Amino acid sequence: MAIILGAGIIVKLVLLLLLSFSVVSWAIILFKFFQVQRANSESERFMDFFWKSKRFDAIASQVDRFANSPLTVLFNEGYSELKKVVEPDSKSDGSALSTDLGGVENVSRALRRATNSEITRLEKYLTFLATTGSTSPFIGLFGTVWGIMTAFEGIGKTGSASLAVVAPGIAEALIATAIGLVAAIPAVMAYNHFQHKIRVLINEMDSFSTEFLNIVQRNIAGK
Amino acid sequence: MSSQVSRTDTGVGVSFIASAVIHLAVFLLFAWWGRQFPTAPVIQETYYVDVVTLPTVAPQAGSTINNPGKTKAASLPAPTLPMAVPRPPKTVPKTGTQSIKTASPQDAAETEAAFAERMAKLEKNSEARREEAVLEKLRSKVKVASASKTGMPGAGGADAGSRYADYVRSRLEDALKVTSSYTTKNPEVAVRLTIAADGRLARIKIERSSGDAAFELAVRRAIDLASEKFTAPPNHTTFDNGFIFKPKGISSGKPR
Repeated sequence: MAIILGAGIIVKLVLLLLLSFSVVSWAIILFKFFQVQRANSESERFMDFFWKSKRFDAIASQVDRFANSPLTVLFNEGYSELKKVVEPDSKSDGSALSTDLGGVENVSRALRRATNSEITRLEKYLTFLATTGSTSPFIGLFGTVWGIMTAFEGIGKTGSASLAVVAPGIAEALIATAIGLVAAIPAVMAYNHFQHKIRVLINEMDSFSTEFLNIVQRNIAGK
Repeated sequence: MSSQVSRTDTGVGVSFIASAVIHLAVFLLFAWWGRQFPTAPVIQETYYVDVVTLPTVAPQAGSTINNPGKTKAASLPAPTLPMAVPRPPKTVPKTGTQSIKTASPQDAAETEAAFAERMAKLEKNSEARREEAVLEKLRSKVKVASASKTGMPGAGGADAGSRYADYVRSRLEDALKVTSSYTTKNPEVAVRLTIAADGRLARIKIERSSGDAAFELAVRRAIDLASEKFTAPPNHTTFDNGFIFKPKGISSGKPR
């Protein structure tokens, strides 16, 4: 602890900055961890439920159980769009018949939009992890270089270059690099991990959209 | 996004608080660790070996200061049975009477403390007798040794400390080798001195040295000391001459 208190003002500022980076990145790591884990498990359960049930309105009534899954959002968006497409027909015509594929196109667009917004939601804050991972070693290095500069300045003033004089200043300076690495390593690891998890979720969303569209098209065409 | 679902995401704020708590906990852990196990500065201790009192091969020649008891035990092998000690015949009856006295019924009332005291006295007596006997033996041995002209040179047979004197001499010699100015027998240093016209010592050149660093140092110091009061050479010329330094004296070499 004395090594931190003995450092110069610039080194202290650098350490403070790195500490705040570390706090924020760990907050994001925790937040993302729970978010992604819940999304994964609820998506799995939702897919089970989806294939077991026969009717969309039955699924729509139960959808609150899987609120954290991105697939639920896709289903909601797609279903509400589908209702908008089908209902005017039933009002005007009463037969609910739609032979052209304009309705399906609408649903497809709605699904794509929902997918994009879900990707945005999942990837939110992840850029901060990438930034922390790539910049905090440099920030730490800056602190170290500054600390060594001041240490050498002091040595030049006193004129003695024994190890007892040189060593503490350099040790104080090096702690900045150490803290920078401590902040960067978990951030990079978590960033890669979440990138992979989110890619898996995006794939799931894409395949769900295709399935949903297939079902819609089959039903509309069949009617 | 027009989704009607209500999410139960952990808020970012909660994550922030958790992260801050984790960092604080790690910091406190490090602080606690630093206080619990402070990194003691490693100080390399310097050991000075006392060359003079190093243990020697002969046990009796060893320093008596370090372990007087051990030396005594080594020189006097204690017999387990008191009867094995050859003791003068006149003391035997005394011991006999004493032991009879111990067995007499009047002493039955004796306190245990008194008994122990008497026992200790008896033991001391027998110890003294045994020591005397062993010493007597040693003396006769030494007499024989000196008669046949063997043993340490210069060691008078009569004095028991002769070997110790030799020991001390050898230790001193060892120490003298370390502290002595001259480690070679006949140190010799040949120096050529050049003295400028104003009496200033211009050049010192050691032309030949016997390799005795200590003597060489002494010579250098002597030259330094002497050069402070050199007068100028005659006729305002540069003086140049060789000198051969020996512990006995200095001889002047031929001038160049």
